[in-house]
Amino acid sequence: MSAKPKTTPAFTLSTMSLVLIPVVVGINYIGKLFAQTLKLPLWLDSIGTILAAFLNGPIVGAIAGLINNLIYGLTVDTMSFVYAITSVAIGLVSGVVGINYIGRGVLPMLGIGLLVGIAAALVSTPLNVIFWGGQTGNVWGDALFAALRKGGFPLWGASFLDEFVVDIPDKVATVIVAWLIFKGLPKRLTRLFRRGASA
Amino acid sequence: MRTISLYVEKESFIHGLDPVTKLWLTASLLIIPFIVGNIESTLVCLGINLALLSVARVIRRIFSILAMSLVLIITLFIIQGMFYGGNRTEAFALGSLVFYREGLRYATLLTLRFFNIISASMVLILTTRPSDLIESLVRRGLSPRIGYVLASVLQIIPMMISNTSTIMDAQRSRGMETEGRLVTRMKAYLPLMAPLVMSSLVATQERAMALEVRAFGARNPKTFLHEEIISRHALPIRVLTSLGLVAAVIWRVIL
Repeated sequence: MSAKPKTTPAFTLSTMSLVLIPVVVGINYIGKLFAQTLKLPLWLDSIGTILAAFLNGPIVGAIAGLINNLIYGLTVDTMSFVYAITSVAIGLVSGVVGINYIGRGVLPMLGIGLLVGIAAALVSTPLNVIFWGGQTGNVWGDALFAALRKGGFPLWGASFLDEFVVDIPDKVATVIVAWLIFKGLPKRLTRLFRRGASA
Repeated sequence: MRTISLYVEKESFIHGLDPVTKLWLTASLLIIPFIVGNIESTLVCLGINLALLSVARVIRRIFSILAMSLVLIITLFIIQGMFYGGNRTEAFALGSLVFYREGLRYATLLTLRFFNIISASMVLILTTRPSDLIESLVRRGLSPRIGYVLASVLQIIPMMISNTSTIMDAQRSRGMETEGRLVTRMKAYLPLMAPLVMSSLVATQERAMALEVRAFGARNPKTFLHEEIISRHALPIRVLTSLGLVAAVIWRVIL
């Protein structure tokens, strides 16, 4: 919790953070809905989580991720309870790295997307192994998984790569969209959250 | 308006239980098969869950949910059947594709576990109004501020969903294409997301002020609008589920 003492001393959630979280969970939901409507080959279901981390720091990002999956688990897909820890990791990583690079153009964002993708894949792999014997349920990833296993590749490595190839494009795109939205927000609003994160 | 809750309003023994007791029931029936670790215990818990769901008269809901994961389960059997690490004994072969007993057994275990996870959580989800669950948790020490966040997510999502079709229509009428090649569809994503996201984020400041004006941040203890009714069956169920958990741990340690 003390990775960024500058932004999170003796953390209490401000009212601004508390009203932000439901909105970003809604953004996650709508992001996924639009991606499905447009039949995009990506999930784009964590834009809100990453946006919360950019606006308000890693802890609010992590809480937003946790609450997102709890609500999803209660209302849409039970298995998302299990993957709550992945969402927490996405919020934490994008907050810790993002807060320092948010104003520096698109290139650092690609790097953040990569980092978030790696973190998500690392956290998801043990869950995939426990619940699905290493598969992810994504056709392309699972085809790779099957091919690697056939060639005698170790289970954990194959499972990580299965998740990794699916996660990287998705998380890079998600970070870019979150960043574009962040840039479009009025300064008046983004400052308000920054202050909330350090108060 | 579309609602995102799966709750089914009915009168039943399960519906009448308080949310925390149901949470106990769900959690223990979900965890026991993982502690014991074999197919038989998973089948027993799955059986209990399905019985509970039929008592609550919501069992039909579960089949459509399970049917959605059919593809995943088929690939599970194919991949584990052929490539599971412990594969030794051949079960059958389709041309050059060889399926093994161990892998198929493992896929069966994973599938049953998955069915059990879904049915156990549906015992809670299909029979409990989400707002009741949140209120029960706040009574037992969950911060009311977090309770507010959870409750308002459930209200905000249907609100945002109902705005999506308005935005789709508005952007289409300006000539935006939402069908066709992948690049065309990708280009449409941001113009759809941005108006919705911007307006809802800008509204957060107003909502925060509205809450503060109503003393949301006040530190004195909060009161509740409704009395909580605890069914007389709640205690026996909690005792039984705890005993079941203890039995599972003993089984695991001794055997």
